[in-house]
Amino acid sequence: MAIELVCPAGTPSALRSAVDAGAHAVYCGFADETNARNFPGLNFSPAEMTKGVRYAHDHGAKVLVAINTFPKAGTFEPWRKALAAAEEAQADAVILADMAVLDHAATHHPGLRLHLSVQAAANTPEAIGFYADTFNVKRVVLPRVLSVEEIAKLNKEIDVETEAFVFGGLCPMTEGRCSLSSYATGRSPNLSGVCSPPEHVEYVEEADGTAVRLAGFTIDRFGKDEAAGYPTLCKGCFVAGGKSTHLFEDPVSLNAAGLVGRLADAGVTALKIEGRQRGKGYVAEVVKTFRAVVDAIEAGGDPVKAEQLLAGLVEGGRQTSGAYRKQWR
Amino acid sequence: MLEHQSPELPRPARLLAAALPSWPLEMVLTRALRALADRRPELFERLGVHSRCVFVVRPTDLDFAFSVVPHRWQGRVSVVRPETRGDVHIEGPLLRLLGLLDGSLDGDALFFNRVISVSGRTDALLALRNAIEEAELAPSDLLGVSGRVGRFADAAILRAIQALQGMAEPAANATPGAL
Repeated sequence: MAIELVCPAGTPSALRSAVDAGAHAVYCGFADETNARNFPGLNFSPAEMTKGVRYAHDHGAKVLVAINTFPKAGTFEPWRKALAAAEEAQADAVILADMAVLDHAATHHPGLRLHLSVQAAANTPEAIGFYADTFNVKRVVLPRVLSVEEIAKLNKEIDVETEAFVFGGLCPMTEGRCSLSSYATGRSPNLSGVCSPPEHVEYVEEADGTAVRLAGFTIDRFGKDEAAGYPTLCKGCFVAGGKSTHLFEDPVSLNAAGLVGRLADAGVTALKIEGRQRGKGYVAEVVKTFRAVVDAIEAGGDPVKAEQLLAGLVEGGRQTSGAYRKQWR
Repeated sequence: MLEHQSPELPRPARLLAAALPSWPLEMVLTRALRALADRRPELFERLGVHSRCVFVVRPTDLDFAFSVVPHRWQGRVSVVRPETRGDVHIEGPLLRLLGLLDGSLDGDALFFNRVISVSGRTDALLALRNAIEEAELAPSDLLGVSGRVGRFADAAILRAIQALQGMAEPAANATPGAL
């Protein structure tokens, strides 16, 4: 297998859907603040994780456990427990970001394979080399800000595997260091595992459409027939220079299906699909489509029309190849 | 206009639904909810503190809505007027709402495409959505029947839903490949 397809699962049933649809690996997290998708009703108990790993292994797939938030001072216990539970469940790897968590894993769980989360925002040979040399990290998930050419250059200078996002929510911020959500709500993906925590999100139907509020701030409005996006500040609509615009980022989903061949040529080991917060319908459809993309490239077959097939699932009704094709840098 | 529009129930089905008395529907759905709590209590753990919330689900092609309090064995489903308020409101065409129940449709995609609209407590809404995602509900679960009767009900109802989708007005998929 040349390219590994790493797929999201927010629930045990989504894990089974991903495996059944052709995922080579599934990533998921425990139901607490130790992972960056800490939403109500989502994620796995330790017992569910063990069953999930067994199901995946029985079907030839791997399970990677995301423990990728940053513990606050004096609150290390949940991360310690999560690492022990991942090893107990016989996970194939853990995805970590915090140096203390990496150190604890390397010291106390030497049998666990360590992947560096995108939350660590490591995108230089020096940073990646540090994590590889210090903690024996085997794979790094690349931030979504690099072009294909930059990834190819990076891969020539490092000795660890790289994993690149190819579909789903697009975060252009320095991940693990973004404070936009904290600014408005006091909670962030970095420490609490939630960007725009749902208890702060409100959708209000108004005469001309839907207003989106975060912690009392109106951050966007969608007209009645206008496609909507996630309620995050980075995708909010702001007035700047006299113009009302999505200043930081448009509501749009990444779709790099057309670049999978080039990413493989650039030395990328694994392709990641974002969306642990999404439903089984999304997981099954996206995994099936990308598995077809990967299989077609490996077999030299006709390209799969992934943009067309996945058009109904994307945020804001739009798709982009993101920074992979960015010209202006 | 958005590319992906939502199908509405055909007029005869809407008229039939409007003629139904509410109490048998309430009784069947409440009993099914409590039976599910009995059979799969772990699903209701996903709701956490939100299990006492009032979820108002309004199929936009029907003249009534459902009020659901999924509080385990004390759970209750009531047929209410469409304008009834609760902690959480979910609105959309019945066939799309059913697609959310069985997990064949993705809630975020329906929201992005404005097929469904939501308001109220977003944390409770997400907890319910994720609990339903894990539930993998079949039509028989909504009727509270199992075994051979359940399998017969599933087959019959799924055929009926497919037929309704075929007659839906206007007929189009909200999410290609789903349902």
